[in-house]
Amino acid sequence: MSAESTTAINRSIVDLLDFIDWSGVECLNHNTAHSLPNAIKQGYREDEGLYLESDADEQLLIYLPFTQVVKLHSIVVKGPEEEGCLIGPKTVKLFSNREHMGFSNVNDFPPSDTAVLTPDNLKGKPVVLKFVKFQNVRSLTIFIEDNQSGSEVTKVDKIALFGTTVETTDMKGLKKIEDNH
Amino acid sequence: MVLEATLICIDNSEWMRNGDYAPSRFQAQTEAANLICGAKTQLNPENTVGVMTMAGKGVRVLVTPTSDLGKILACMHGLEIGGELNLAAGIQVAQLALKHRQNKKQQQRIIVFVGSPIKHEKKVLEMIGRKLKKNSVALDIVNFGEDDEGNTEKLEALLAAVNNNDSSHLVHVPPGPNALSDVLLSTPIFTGDGEGGSGFAAAAAAAAASGASGYEFGVDPNLDPELALALRVSMEEERARQEAAAKRAAEEAAKKEKQGEQQSSSQDVTMTDQDSVPASEADDKKKTTKHDEGLLQEAIAMSSTPSYPSGRDTNMSEVAEDDPELALALQLSMQDGTKDAPSHSDMSQLLADQAFVSSILASLPGVDPEDPSVKDVLTSMQNQSEKKDEDKASKEEEEK
Repeated sequence: MSAESTTAINRSIVDLLDFIDWSGVECLNHNTAHSLPNAIKQGYREDEGLYLESDADEQLLIYLPFTQVVKLHSIVVKGPEEEGCLIGPKTVKLFSNREHMGFSNVNDFPPSDTAVLTPDNLKGKPVVLKFVKFQNVRSLTIFIEDNQSGSEVTKVDKIALFGTTVETTDMKGLKKIEDNH
Repeated sequence: MVLEATLICIDNSEWMRNGDYAPSRFQAQTEAANLICGAKTQLNPENTVGVMTMAGKGVRVLVTPTSDLGKILACMHGLEIGGELNLAAGIQVAQLALKHRQNKKQQQRIIVFVGSPIKHEKKVLEMIGRKLKKNSVALDIVNFGEDDEGNTEKLEALLAAVNNNDSSHLVHVPPGPNALSDVLLSTPIFTGDGEGGSGFAAAAAAAAASGASGYEFGVDPNLDPELALALRVSMEEERARQEAAAKRAAEEAAKKEKQGEQQSSSQDVTMTDQDSVPASEADDKKKTTKHDEGLLQEAIAMSSTPSYPSGRDTNMSEVAEDDPELALALQLSMQDGTKDAPSHSDMSQLLADQAFVSSILASLPGVDPEDPSVKDVLTSMQNQSEKKDEDKASKEEEEK
């Protein structure tokens, strides 16, 4: 039916890196020398030496707005290989469509999904999310609550988001149609 | 032009009645706060500033962050002195007020005035500092009034906990004849993080500067910022060059003693001609900063660095238009440099090559190769190159 035809039209799951709106990206409690682009940007995230690190304590709050509405399917969080992935993140809470969250209000409302990462996940195995909760995502807030070993500092090598786009107009791509007739 | 939301925390405790800052601590503080408001709003029209008190009946926010300067100044008026300073609560309320700012794109900053003893423990302050850092709030602390070590220690611990990349500052203002606001003008609180000062701060600082009519280079940075900047940059370049020249002069001093007469005679030539340089040079910057010794050192620097002559040749050749003797002197000094550094042997050989030299001279504007004085130069240069070879031979012998 129409549902089937829409799924047929639907694109396959892609890396949502291209749909991140970089002008609005924010990261709280990160060490300025090891900042968010190290974990997300193409090229940077593949580099072992470049990682995102937390500063005052082990929590991290990352806010990623998208240029268009997306559906989020799964997420890959890679931690550093050494020390048996002990300082990679453990509990990761995801909030969709909540802007400007702070550490004080992360516990005020339930997350759209929570992922407890195992060392397998930290090596690159994707975590599949509750797709139904992420059907209409304009922005994503990733709250890294603690790490594998409970140390003072959390390190993240790479964060990759996978999903599909919804057919929304990218306002930047709009071009004026020449009216010839 | 950093977009910032600032919250100023005023200490209006009983200790502010003290008159060790004229006319009273409280008034000095209010003045300083007013100045800060003005400076912040001038830096960027979208900046907002808010004011709150930390003592008195309790911690109270008087004005939420706004860009309306009138509102801010008005609320500073009816403030009353009393009570005790509650630093921890004050900072936490400030953080909350900033969290609810209207424009989320603004960076958060708290400016705290501390002029009375802090009753909290160091640990409490450190925890607060860490929380501020976690939420990327910068903190500026103005410590005045209390001289006891306890306060200073606690505030330094607080700063260490908050400081992220030098965005937070702690300023101690001891009691004295200078007004609190004047002292603050020169601190990073006004000048921002390495921005080099807004026009407001620079002008105010210049006006407040002791006595002398105080604009460097005689140019008001506000009236003509580009010229002031250009002059400042050239001044710094000149200093750097002179330092390098001084170093090389010291190195060469030992070597030069070996050279003896030749060196001194050619130096005489360079010196006498350099005396005429200031007169003939139209360049303002050099006039104001150079004196003869500086010129000499510059010539020495020029002669000993290989890349230097190529960069500076164009300048000098313009000047040499007026003064063929100067051109001669320059070439001699260049050659002297080549004596000292064996690596310049190529250059000296080139210079010895008469055809090459005469072609160079021909290209120099205002120098006529047929001129008898120029011809003398060429012959003397040849003699010098011969003598130089002798020198080299003797040097090698010495080294053996």
